[in-house]
Amino acid sequence: MNTQQISTKQISVKRYLPDSSAESYWQQYELPVDDSTSLLDALNHIKEQLDSTLSYRWSCRMAICGSCGVMVNGIPKLGCKTFLRDYEGEIRIEPLSHFPVQRDLVVDMEIFLEHLAAVKPYLIDDNPVKPYDPQAPETYQQSPEQLARYKQFANCINCGLCYSACPQFGLNPEFLGPAALTLAHRYNLDSRDHGKKQRMAELNRHEGVWSCTFVGFCSKVCPKHVDPAAAVNQGKVEAAKHTLIALFKG
Amino acid sequence: MEKLAMNKPSMGKNSAQHKQAFDEPLWWGLFSAGGVCFAVFLPAVILFIAVLLPLGLLPAEVLSYERASALLFSVPGFLFVGAVVCLPLFHAAHRLRHGMFDISVGNDALNKKLMYGGAALVSIVALGLVVAGMLG
Repeated sequence: MNTQQISTKQISVKRYLPDSSAESYWQQYELPVDDSTSLLDALNHIKEQLDSTLSYRWSCRMAICGSCGVMVNGIPKLGCKTFLRDYEGEIRIEPLSHFPVQRDLVVDMEIFLEHLAAVKPYLIDDNPVKPYDPQAPETYQQSPEQLARYKQFANCINCGLCYSACPQFGLNPEFLGPAALTLAHRYNLDSRDHGKKQRMAELNRHEGVWSCTFVGFCSKVCPKHVDPAAAVNQGKVEAAKHTLIALFKG
Repeated sequence: MEKLAMNKPSMGKNSAQHKQAFDEPLWWGLFSAGGVCFAVFLPAVILFIAVLLPLGLLPAEVLSYERASALLFSVPGFLFVGAVVCLPLFHAAHRLRHGMFDISVGNDALNKKLMYGGAALVSIVALGLVVAGMLG
């Protein structure tokens, strides 16, 4: 095994330092890498050894927190899940597309968070919650079959890669987007939830499911294999049913 | 308090209710049905009418004028035109509309009227001709 074999690689980072310049620019760094060097390791190396002015987000190093999303050669990726051994030649690192850049690789995700909040991504129960009784605790019961219906769509880590991949979100930031629509679908499929009616009003807007043109790149870039494209298009079927029912009910 | 509630981004029940896209399920339904027809029926139609027949691989009389008009001006003929002309037209109109939005050509409200209106117009003419032939 030659996993410890050290070589050097050059990566280019798109820098944006609004304090000193209104324009962004490319900066090259050369750093030692081996087969286990992730892009996040490389960025940490730059920050610690070469250039402490570089800004980027990170936390868990294991594809759970969803903080370290960047564009690698134009494709949205998690820094911690991307390994430099997979790249020959130039490696270009940019902040996530379709979001306003705050500094270097740090983007403003406010609109994404607003879209998440708009679909009410939590269990909605019409029945009032009873006070907790330790003698006879009541829990939400759910069978493995009921869990299986939505489990895949519950794996989203809110990294925002799908928003950078989505050309429709790029054209219209009001589009709720892949992750929010997937999360809405996840709760609509949950047997413990009774909030579908409230969410359908958000989904059945032009900026809801109907802005999706099924490009499918969101599902390709998703680091957790959530398949948002499938969720959004199942959401279209639900929105169509919702509209039909609304028409008959008047 | 009221001002606070208004500042919430599209959370109000009324704001979403007022922006319901009642037409989109219709266009999407026609697009889906048209896609199925495009994939299932059109290749067979092209193979039969545009390849096998001109190459003389089928007897010429299978689509003689009398046979063709008898086939077309009937209820199955009406359904045939609906499946290989009208629904694929709506499928294409939907793709064109979204394609134009993607490359920022025109505005979506007008494109919608032009695309779906065009598909509806050609569909009505095509189906109307079949009905006229059945009656005439």
